[in-house]
Amino acid sequence: MGSLEELQCLQGHSDRVWQVSWSPSGDMLASCGGDRTVRIWRHDAANPERWLCTAILEDTHSRTIRSACWSPCGRFLATASFDRTTAVWQHQGGVWEVVAMLEGHESEVKEVAWNPNGGMLATCSRDKTVWLWEVQPGHEYEVVDVKHGHSQDVKTVRWHPLGEVLVSASYDDTIKLWVEEDDEWVCAQTLAEPGVGHASTVWEVAFDAVGERMVSCSDDCTLKIWGCCRADSGEQQWTLLSTLSGFHDRTIFSVDWSKQGLIASGCADNAIRIFGQEGGGEQDQVDSAAATPGVWGLFMQQDSSRRPATGSSSDKASSSSDSGVATFRLLSTRQPAHPLDVNCVRWHPTDPTLLASAGDDCCIKLWRWHAAPT
Amino acid sequence: MELINPAPVVHERKATRRRLARATLKSGEEDKREPIDSLEVFEHIRDITDPEHPYTLEQLNVVSEEHVEVDDAGGMVKVRFTPTVEHCSMATLIGLCIRVKLLRALPPRFKADILLYPGSHASEAAVNKQLSDKERVAAALENPNLLSMVDRCLGSSF
Repeated sequence: MGSLEELQCLQGHSDRVWQVSWSPSGDMLASCGGDRTVRIWRHDAANPERWLCTAILEDTHSRTIRSACWSPCGRFLATASFDRTTAVWQHQGGVWEVVAMLEGHESEVKEVAWNPNGGMLATCSRDKTVWLWEVQPGHEYEVVDVKHGHSQDVKTVRWHPLGEVLVSASYDDTIKLWVEEDDEWVCAQTLAEPGVGHASTVWEVAFDAVGERMVSCSDDCTLKIWGCCRADSGEQQWTLLSTLSGFHDRTIFSVDWSKQGLIASGCADNAIRIFGQEGGGEQDQVDSAAATPGVWGLFMQQDSSRRPATGSSSDKASSSSDSGVATFRLLSTRQPAHPLDVNCVRWHPTDPTLLASAGDDCCIKLWRWHAAPT
Repeated sequence: MELINPAPVVHERKATRRRLARATLKSGEEDKREPIDSLEVFEHIRDITDPEHPYTLEQLNVVSEEHVEVDDAGGMVKVRFTPTVEHCSMATLIGLCIRVKLLRALPPRFKADILLYPGSHASEAAVNKQLSDKERVAAALENPNLLSMVDRCLGSSF
């Protein structure tokens, strides 16, 4: 089924680590947390297997740094803080400096995300809003839209890999998809129907490699897999494909989808779990169904015969879906992965078997995924 | 400021019987760590002061030993508390005080669930959700005003 081997434990933060983020090329890892600092980790030149802290970014945020996101070019790092600001850092000549401070949110900023072409930033906040910022020449950031719509604390924002959709998720238990229409961003869809949407706070979402599927994680202890269907007009319509329930014992704070199709989850029960798709080997590249939008029509059909639980470690675990094609199975559970809550899991962008995680234990861990021989 | 509950019923601080504990241990078990039990957890929170009255949470019957569950091996603590009135606007603050006290007093491996006693509050689900959101708890504790209120309530409990 596969297993996670712990490669290294990166220590240095003096408080809970909230998030880790790989640079686009994967040569750097940024981490941030309750100690109000960002640490930048790189390969040790003398020992390429080991990662070292090579920079500490501090004295800019006065409260917890909740999120850090690299620009697609890898030269900028944006950081979101409970101090209501978002900072943009530039890495030049081996030095990190703040080149912009984005202010306007009325409460804690929970997440920042750069769009795929690097021209826009999205931020979200406890103040229930999502802000869109356009990058202007000279490190100027202009607010192009402020989106109200969530009724509570917005926990996360993520861009679709093609950049045309922004996803936000909230303490109000909903996921919202935002698209641009005539210079304005509008809510195209809210994933919240009773029995379909999450039953509690949605903490994070992640897309698969091609952006045809999305996974969300929640305080309701489930993961949900969503599929995209394109109407003839080209509009996206997202529907629930599968709910993975019974696998997690407490809040799931983080989820990430590797380019090879593996889903990792970070949970308040201290565990990291790895899920893969039923039917295909876990090392499959993106399967043909995901690459062919038309096939997603399959998932629109209601199937009354729910599949029985598969590949689970507990009797109550189940992965119900409208089509067997979308059934995921638990491949591996690492428990404990950290001695305390796991707050973040992130696959390396180019090495598909390398995973980073962050925990309440102030540590970051690097893991190697070993798929079991078939 | 008008009090939410101007005349609360005040109960006496109960004497607790400490367990026979060590006396009953068989020889050879003296070095064993004594597991944390509900009485020990109750001892940590019973003397927290109510935010608006000069009484402890125990004196106001907000907390009691019977409503504390502990699973030492599993590292779980569950505390159910009962506000003096069911529209109490202090419920979140009281729950936050209990959470902070347990964060400070128990080994970090313990995961605490702080919940309203079922049926004891008009906004039970909303208060429970807020108390279980560790991100919002962390943000609240970075607010100096809120933190000083919490510390004032906790001052009597150490």
